[in-house]
Amino acid sequence: MSIQTTQLRKTYNQDTDFPVHAVKQLDLSIEQGEFVAVMGPSGSGKTTLLNMIGGIDIPSAGTVIIDGIDICALKDKALIAFRRDNIGFIFQDYSLLPVLTALENVEFVMQLQGHSEKECRERAITLLDQVGLGEQLHKIPSKLSGGQQQRVAVARALAPSPRFVMADEPTANLDAKSTAELLDIMQQLNEKEGTTFIFSTHDPRVIKRARRVIVFEDGQLTEDRAQ
Amino acid sequence: MLIKLAWRNLWRQKRRTILTAMALALALVLSLFMRSMQEGSYANNIENSAKFSTGLIQLQHVEFEESQSIEDLLPATDEFIAPAREMDDVERILPRLESFALAAAGDKSKGVMVLGVMPALEDEYSSISDKVVEGEFIKADDSAVLIGQGLAEYLSLAVGDELVLYGQGYRGQTAAGLYKIKGIVHFPLPQLDNLLIYMPLPLSQTLFSTGEQVSAWVIDTRELTRLEQTLADLKRAYSSQKLKNKVNVRDWEDLAPEMAQQIAMDKAGGIFMMYLLYGVVGFGLFATILMMTLERYREFGVMMATGLVRAKLLGLVVLESSFISLLGVTIGLALGTPLVVWFHYHPIELTGETAEMMLELGWEPILPMLLSPWLFIDQILIVLGLMLLCLLYPLWRIYRLDLVTALKGGAHVN
Repeated sequence: MSIQTTQLRKTYNQDTDFPVHAVKQLDLSIEQGEFVAVMGPSGSGKTTLLNMIGGIDIPSAGTVIIDGIDICALKDKALIAFRRDNIGFIFQDYSLLPVLTALENVEFVMQLQGHSEKECRERAITLLDQVGLGEQLHKIPSKLSGGQQQRVAVARALAPSPRFVMADEPTANLDAKSTAELLDIMQQLNEKEGTTFIFSTHDPRVIKRARRVIVFEDGQLTEDRAQ
Repeated sequence: MLIKLAWRNLWRQKRRTILTAMALALALVLSLFMRSMQEGSYANNIENSAKFSTGLIQLQHVEFEESQSIEDLLPATDEFIAPAREMDDVERILPRLESFALAAAGDKSKGVMVLGVMPALEDEYSSISDKVVEGEFIKADDSAVLIGQGLAEYLSLAVGDELVLYGQGYRGQTAAGLYKIKGIVHFPLPQLDNLLIYMPLPLSQTLFSTGEQVSAWVIDTRELTRLEQTLADLKRAYSSQKLKNKVNVRDWEDLAPEMAQQIAMDKAGGIFMMYLLYGVVGFGLFATILMMTLERYREFGVMMATGLVRAKLLGLVVLESSFISLLGVTIGLALGTPLVVWFHYHPIELTGETAEMMLELGWEPILPMLLSPWLFIDQILIVLGLMLLCLLYPLWRIYRLDLVTALKGGAHVN
């Protein structure tokens, strides 16, 4: 189970006099169970890369093959279903649904997969327990701290049992303590359940914990190292 | 979960939701009140006018509409009218014989309309005896007549005087007779006051030598709302093989087209005002739904990224809008229904010149309200239609929502 990109390219404003090349001819392979940090300065194309391999953005050229499936060739509905079942997302600003409780936020994505209410509830409680929020199940996001909200987001991303989790600068809004706690949780889940984590970040605390670091500059891969 | 989510989303902007629902409710109450009053007035006017002229429904000979001739008559027998009498919605049936004649007294004469009626039945229907200003009301076996005050003044006649009626009777026979004036009646409408002579039906049948025939059977329904059904029933009943192409069933709209046109125009004005009101409120609803959509572009993006299909996202927005509309309709009906019911049973009483004018016409000086389920259903359907209209553009925006753009920061990126 891997992610394979071949000659992946994303150009914005392609038909204008000023095209922006966000990702240039990228060949990349990420294996199941990796804990990868994609680092680089702002505007280097990190988020665009994550969006493309997460099936959110469509490449201008090249392919993204996950588990043998070319996700760029999938139609809208099939792509949504693929994303829902295989890829979890963690956003910088947590992006929880503000009117649902922590428990309901996690349950919601599972219900989209068609699981029974009981299954959703049990797994959501287990996951929230795992991220240390067993006591905060019924609180709405605004009653939780930033770190707690991001932990709910982690539980939500993991709820559908995805094989890959894309985290776009997940620690950008967190303090040192919350960052450390969050990284501990994600590292544990990575080791215990074999979920692949791919972060875009320029946070040295995240980079320090990653087992593989991909450096991105001006839309190109400039360094790919294991640590 | 979607229902729960939609309901809770409504209350994220509590004030906005309440204001929008209240605006809808207010529009519903106002238009319900206005339409109910309008329809109530029309019904009242139709019933009042019908009493003094055409009635709600008439059975006539099929040629009578064109010819207005004494030759085109219907039987005045029980057998003929039995099918109408059997109908539950029919409240009363009045036979009338109507023709024109020349009235003369002394050296003056004038063309008049002679109306042969069953006095007791007619009085029960239109309380015509209350309009007698001199003398007495006629009885079925009288050999006397009742004449309009204007006509009496023109011919210089008083109660007890005699007048000659001269005209054409059935099958070309001469219709002539000398009749004593038993009473003088005042009609507020000058065209009736200067033209009309009432006489008992048997006497008019003798005058015009029609035998047991009438020019019209006037039929009144228990409820105006049952008019259409009764009309259809009568048409069915009088289209049998035996009566086919002999009987014309006409309603008040056909009998008094000017009044029908006046009501149609007035109604169109009222409906235009109602739509104008809903149009203003509709912009408020549209703004709310659009804001609810645009300000949550990023949230929609996140939901789609985590697996919510577009159709369900559209469904979520439809649900939220439906909740607001339902809230508006519920509040509107809760406020509007008691109001309409109260004024239906306690109509607004008119005063001043308007009241005097109505009393003069023999009408009760009130503004009645119509209590009909269709008025309520119409308002609900209008609100739902308005909601669907307001949803079109926001739904189109969601349908076209680009996931990357939405995740980058929402509608403003577009």
